[in-house]
Amino acid sequence: MKETENIFLTLINQHKAIIHKISKMYMNGVEEQRDLFQEIVLQLWKAYPTFKGDAKFTTWMYRVCLNTALIYFKKDNRKVDKIPLDENIDVIDINESEGKEEKLAYLYTAVKELNVIEKALIFLYLENQSHREIAENLGISEVNARVKLNRTKEKLQFIIKKNGYEF
Amino acid sequence: MNFDDIKNEWSAEQPEGDSISTDMLKIKQAHTPIDRIRGKMKHEFFYQLFFLAIMAFIPYFFNFSSAMNQVFLMFYAITCGFTAYYFFKFYLFYKNSYDMSLDTRKNILWFYYEMKLNIELYKALTYIVAFIGAAFLAVYLFVEKASIFARILSKLSSVYILLNCFISILIIGAITELWAWYYYGKHIKQIKAVVDELDYE
Repeated sequence: MKETENIFLTLINQHKAIIHKISKMYMNGVEEQRDLFQEIVLQLWKAYPTFKGDAKFTTWMYRVCLNTALIYFKKDNRKVDKIPLDENIDVIDINESEGKEEKLAYLYTAVKELNVIEKALIFLYLENQSHREIAENLGISEVNARVKLNRTKEKLQFIIKKNGYEF
Repeated sequence: MNFDDIKNEWSAEQPEGDSISTDMLKIKQAHTPIDRIRGKMKHEFFYQLFFLAIMAFIPYFFNFSSAMNQVFLMFYAITCGFTAYYFFKFYLFYKNSYDMSLDTRKNILWFYYEMKLNIELYKALTYIVAFIGAAFLAVYLFVEKASIFARILSKLSSVYILLNCFISILIIGAITELWAWYYYGKHIKQIKAVVDELDYE
């Protein structure tokens, strides 16, 4: 068990950027992002026995992370089952990162106006997933994935422009 | 807007901070809508057990006659039987684990139909218990308060009595539906929105 846990932790630490990015895309406040981050890690751990190694770890991870984010229900503050990870896990606030990564900060702001499926499409696209891979992950046809992605990219461009930024 | 530039910056973005530790794997409480519903059902299970235990003392509180005691025992046994059956179903639901590594569509649909099914079970149990309760009350009035009840009934028209029964059924239905919606509706609504968005072409 300990060995499985160590292998799992090594793998998700190598790819923790995926969890960070999804948390930032799906939640607004830093606290909510941390909660979602925590939930995704928990769901990844619970689902880890389903990872058979016949697919890439990241492919499996995309699915679990996105599925968790899509159905995640915000916690009530009074019921938060939290471990003291707040200091350890750094989920960067968009305002904080503005200086360093201006384009990304604008992207994250614009993404907030997309719906949950559009966020998943943009995420997978930015992760260099092909139309076929996006379709497989979301369980829709490749044509539908292409159409939805094109629409979402146009919508995103429109939002960014509307917000007074262009790149 | 150049998406290729964005992609490069996206790939280069690395989170700062410490590693994910074993502590994060030890949190038992998950927060998917299914986990929420299961948590609520677990609470309700204890409430219902408590009420069933209290119900067992009803004959002592109301000083039932021996005939009424027999009737009560019969109704109580039926209630316990139905409750045990539905609790068994809920237990199966509670133990039915989900697979988050399925593709999104399968995963969302599994959650959606599992939730719908269990909410329907929940409503069915509420209806059954409510109607058993109403039937018992009617028998109680006929047996224990026969003279007063007969006098009241003789003053009322059949249409009025039927209308009252119909309205009572409607009220039980409305309370059940509203309670289920208040308790579980928002979870279903959230999942339904994702299903609709995924299906939209």
